[in-house]
Amino acid sequence: MDQNEVIIRVGGAAGDGVQSAGLIIGKVFSRNGLHVQTYNYYQSIIRGGQSWYQIRASHNRIRSQGDGLDILIALNKDALERHTNPNINEGGASPLDGIAVYDTALGDFKKYDNVKYCGLPLGEIAQKYSKNTLLKNTVAIGAVFGYLSIDFETLAGVIRDQFVGKGDIAEMNVKAAKEGYETFISKYGKSNKTLKPENKRFYLISGGETAGMGAVRAGLKAYFGYPMTPASSIIHYLASHSKSFDVFVKITEDEISAINMAIGANYAGIRAMTGSSGGGFALMTEAVGMSAEMEVPLVIYEAQRAGPSTGLPTKTEQGDLFQVMGASQGDFPKAIFSPRNVEEVYYMAGEALNLAEKYQMPVFLMVDLYLAEHYETVEKFDLTPNAVRPKFATGDEKNYKRYEFTETGISLRALPGTPNLMHNEDSDEHDEKGDVVSDAVTDPEIRRKIMEKRMRKMETYMKELPPTPTYLLKDAEYVVIQWGSTQGAVEEAIDILRAKGIKVGAIEVNRPYPVNPDIKELVKGKKKIVFVENNYTGQLRRLISSEIGITGELVTKYDGESFYPGALAAQIEERIRK
Amino acid sequence: MVTMNDFKGTVKADWCPGCGNYAQLTAIPMALAQLGIKPEQTVIVSGIGCSSNMPEYVRAYGFHGIHGRSLPVASAIKWANPELTVIAYGGDGDGYNEGTQHFYHSSRRNPDITYIVSDNQIFGLTTGQASPTSMLGMKTKTTPDGNIEPPINPLSMALSAGATFVAREFSGDVKHMVETIKRAISHKGFSIVDVFSPCVTYNKDNTFDFFRKRVYHLEDEKHDTSDLMAAFKKAAEWGDRIPIGILYESNDPTYESRDEVLHTPLIKKPIKQLKEQDLEEFL
Repeated sequence: MDQNEVIIRVGGAAGDGVQSAGLIIGKVFSRNGLHVQTYNYYQSIIRGGQSWYQIRASHNRIRSQGDGLDILIALNKDALERHTNPNINEGGASPLDGIAVYDTALGDFKKYDNVKYCGLPLGEIAQKYSKNTLLKNTVAIGAVFGYLSIDFETLAGVIRDQFVGKGDIAEMNVKAAKEGYETFISKYGKSNKTLKPENKRFYLISGGETAGMGAVRAGLKAYFGYPMTPASSIIHYLASHSKSFDVFVKITEDEISAINMAIGANYAGIRAMTGSSGGGFALMTEAVGMSAEMEVPLVIYEAQRAGPSTGLPTKTEQGDLFQVMGASQGDFPKAIFSPRNVEEVYYMAGEALNLAEKYQMPVFLMVDLYLAEHYETVEKFDLTPNAVRPKFATGDEKNYKRYEFTETGISLRALPGTPNLMHNEDSDEHDEKGDVVSDAVTDPEIRRKIMEKRMRKMETYMKELPPTPTYLLKDAEYVVIQWGSTQGAVEEAIDILRAKGIKVGAIEVNRPYPVNPDIKELVKGKKKIVFVENNYTGQLRRLISSEIGITGELVTKYDGESFYPGALAAQIEERIRK
Repeated sequence: MVTMNDFKGTVKADWCPGCGNYAQLTAIPMALAQLGIKPEQTVIVSGIGCSSNMPEYVRAYGFHGIHGRSLPVASAIKWANPELTVIAYGGDGDGYNEGTQHFYHSSRRNPDITYIVSDNQIFGLTTGQASPTSMLGMKTKTTPDGNIEPPINPLSMALSAGATFVAREFSGDVKHMVETIKRAISHKGFSIVDVFSPCVTYNKDNTFDFFRKRVYHLEDEKHDTSDLMAAFKKAAEWGDRIPIGILYESNDPTYESRDEVLHTPLIKKPIKQLKEQDLEEFL
């Protein structure tokens, strides 16, 4: 195990405060200038059930939840037995090879050889300070940082910020943490990890939050949504910042209302977004086509979770690509983004708003539960405004036609309220002026022309499509093709393989549609192509294969968890050697 | 001065001759003109159905969307740009079937928009199927033995949801309808005007004659529009006598007034400049 990094897991029942304990631990590391990745493995139950929160911190840049487990904080007996069991294999998760911190009041439990058991009277210590049973978590957190000999003051600062404005509670927690810190050292000593503070500080932030922040930077003025995991993190963030960001946030009666409101707001001339997960997005489907037909800009944040149907509501998957691809009847222009990490979500949210307004079409910002809800460190955000707003008609235009047939396919919008340019925008097929040509007066020639005008926007967009990003591709003999949030695990798996002398690189698809034809060039001369996807059927492989005829081997994962780099490396190697 | 002629569109309405919708095509522009509202300040939003073709025929900003969804679109347009007068228009199938949830929630939400429903108690565009307001026993293409589902009462539904302006009108009484629509547009909050608008082709039961014999004006009977219980009673009145006019009006605050962010129009808000302090919470 790398002495420059540590992996800590907090396990307990839902409602035990697992997540807030995990976040405190993460922040102590990020404030010390260490890179952090966290992931919340939780159940869709408010109280009860088992959940755990994993924190990986390192002096080096880390891109995934990692392999291995150094420290376990077990908040109940089940967590203690489950996470220490060497036979555990939760989708590739490693069992504990290190210390287990737990309350000695847990009584008897099953023990394993690979573990150093470090029981402390957590509850007893906590009771000295408060009757609140959650305080024992703080004692345990203190113990862990004592073990890692990380300066106590950072932890005290994080705790004080966590409980700011809550009176004595903050100091109570600081004292309890301090006793945990000292008791652990005196009883069990310190670890030989060399985690020292760096002269840096990082933001610890989730994809749902960067999506909201990136959209606000690009001029978002309204967000409409309906609660659905994992698309709620963006709503929670925007709603709690509604006043400071001056953004209108509306929770609607259903997702159908949400998307229609977002379209109405965009039609009126502001930048508005909607979002959901697969089930809620299914309800939005009909209106996606309306945005395209009426040429009203629209950005939809689609946060995937494991389906089908209600599926695994609190587990991750990349199973909605075909749902998004096929959403709504007919052929129409659209773009799909799949940012690869928390930082990229920030920039792509803005890019999506710009693109949707420029091309007056639906643009999808696809993330997944892992990306929307896990926290990772980001060093810096570019805060300069990046909204590129198009020109709108002023009212002085002669012979204004809302859907004028242009070379680019893009026509000038006249917003409601503009003098002289009153017109109708219609979900029925229409001519250049917006007059309906459906039903009795169908004109095949106009229909052809307006279809071609709309689809021309795709040709125009293809010309400005940025190149597909790659990782260590140049000298690679083998290539992995991934999309979205699997980037980190794929890159770390590639590093593992390269350390073994196997030259692998990656093509990282962050704009799955329209499919960038540059992928054809990028795979040239490679001995083998391996697609890595968090789904069952390899949806990106199917899409790329049907669009540009490239296919390859496939590694999938559909157990509800994201990839672990070690296990993934073995799977990639196996496909390469096949 | 704004005149009705300013609202005259270039596309000729193609509803069946004698269709009730023609009365609303007269009454809505007349009400807008009399209120001095300009076409450029007017947005007419609709869903799908015969009546929903209305935006195509009026010289104003038109938004002809998808079935049942006029109210969310209309609400958001108003929230984005409150200087616009936003009217949602559509049929009983559109508003009381697929759009029921939006109708109910708009009634409680109270956005400052006007909703006019052309209620012909039948599906016209799809050539004559039972609608949510079709009377019991009515024979249609989908109910050859007579409709066995009792009709929805949109007015008592709106009242129960907390709607702040609830009215009913009849296409055979344009003069009366204009006055009510003017009041509805001027009302601060969500106003619903359910208009008996006979379908001359597919509904042989609820005809112009049927209503002419039955409707009476509420104001003639000294109905108190601030009395919610009296409004419920009037909403339920159906038989030899059917009331038209304003059933209920209250001054409850609008959605816009309750949400601080909407106190300045969204369309006038500058782009938020993010600052380092916006990131501090993540440190």
